[in-house]
Amino acid sequence: MLLLDYQNVLIQSVLSERFSGAAPVSIDQTVSDFDGVIFHISTPESKTKIMISIQIRCFQDLLRHGAEEVLNREYGPYVVPPEPGYDFSIVVDVEDLPAEKEARDELVNKIALLKRNVMAAPFEQAYQEHYHLKAEASKFTSEEAPQGVREGGEVKAIHYREEEAIYVKASHDRVTVIFSTIFREETDRVFGKVFIQEFVDARRRAIQNAPQVLFRNDPPLELQGVPGVKNTGTGEIGYVTFVLFPRHLTPQRMPDVISHIQTFRDYFHYHIKASKAYIHSRMRRRTADFLQVLRRARPDQEEKERKTASGRTFKVGS
Amino acid sequence: MVSLDQRASQSLRPYLQAVRSSLTAALCLSNFASQTAERHNVPEVEARTSPEVLLTPLTIARNENERVLIEPSINSIRISIKIKQADEIEHILVHKFTRFLTQRAESFFILRRKPIKGYDISFLITNFHTEEMLKHKLVDFIIQFMEEVDKEISEMKLFLNARARFVAESFLIPFD
Repeated sequence: MLLLDYQNVLIQSVLSERFSGAAPVSIDQTVSDFDGVIFHISTPESKTKIMISIQIRCFQDLLRHGAEEVLNREYGPYVVPPEPGYDFSIVVDVEDLPAEKEARDELVNKIALLKRNVMAAPFEQAYQEHYHLKAEASKFTSEEAPQGVREGGEVKAIHYREEEAIYVKASHDRVTVIFSTIFREETDRVFGKVFIQEFVDARRRAIQNAPQVLFRNDPPLELQGVPGVKNTGTGEIGYVTFVLFPRHLTPQRMPDVISHIQTFRDYFHYHIKASKAYIHSRMRRRTADFLQVLRRARPDQEEKERKTASGRTFKVGS
Repeated sequence: MVSLDQRASQSLRPYLQAVRSSLTAALCLSNFASQTAERHNVPEVEARTSPEVLLTPLTIARNENERVLIEPSINSIRISIKIKQADEIEHILVHKFTRFLTQRAESFFILRRKPIKGYDISFLITNFHTEEMLKHKLVDFIIQFMEEVDKEISEMKLFLNARARFVAESFLIPFD
């Protein structure tokens, strides 16, 4: 339970049940996911045709960075025009499923990964850009590389939450992923700082091959001139930068790295909240201990009620 | 590590001993009705209406960050504790913990709902408390509180750091 799953478990369980050969029923279920993403599983036409729609606030950003391509690649035959109010829909016919169980499970997983796949588009694009720039850069020595190659690609901004965004930037020797994250509370800010510091140090201490992690409160240089990036100067917003090195950028590792890095924000905040909850329960226990000590200060109450031989009770006047 | 612990407890022990003796001496309370308002009986240390029943306040400081203020009066005594806060995390933890306690002031009897300025937590003991509770046990409670609060805060801080480290490494290992 330490790491978060990439797929949506509820969608997975609903679909596995439907695909297992159970009698078709009508479904109308709304499923929420992280970052305000909403799924709608329904059977609008007939019980055998299951429609899965997704609503995601940064869909326009994603379309700009090649989401359509990725979605068509992943869900090609199932894509249908989006349901009103949603951004993207697919329809799966239960009567027209692959025969083997493995293939069916794979389909379920693929659909459960819908959010991941939508969000993956800008990352995939950054990977492609990186390969392209790398090929370009290998033609020059570092001094005489033309402007575009040395500086790398444009910054892709994904405003996946109201006030938070992911920025992805490719260059010839790395891909930089920047999360802007906001702390509503002082406690969250301090806890977040402790956690981030450990992310920064982990590379030095234990995991040499991990991506470099940087943290700062003002926008990093990569984001200069990007619209929507503002410096509040209050320390409320933090920028967490992941620098992916060529060893993370091989085509074989691409799907895993993209899935994993997407979960960063949720993982990070989840553990801050979990720590708070633990500390809260700890304080509750400690408070009970203190109360116990204080109770000892009260002299034992003498037995007030006495019984006579016949069983009647009376009180000893205090 | 052992020597460090010993040194810490060696400076802690005289501090707590001083607090204990001063408290025991100060907890000499008697019933005293208000001189300014008829049929009122209020803790004089809070009301501050008759200067002649207030005694000299006393501060016991272990260092610049840890100190205890004892304000005695004829029928009540106020004890305020400043808890050690070395950094931002400890500050937050102390703040959370003291707030947690003061929200439960009702069941703590002697806990003041609001600490006095410059301190983290205050206790108010009146003659009614000393009449129904054992005086030396009340002193024990304050001393134990002081001992454990420091321990609790540093344990919580250690826990937080350990968890953060573990969480960070678990997240980064799949990249390796």
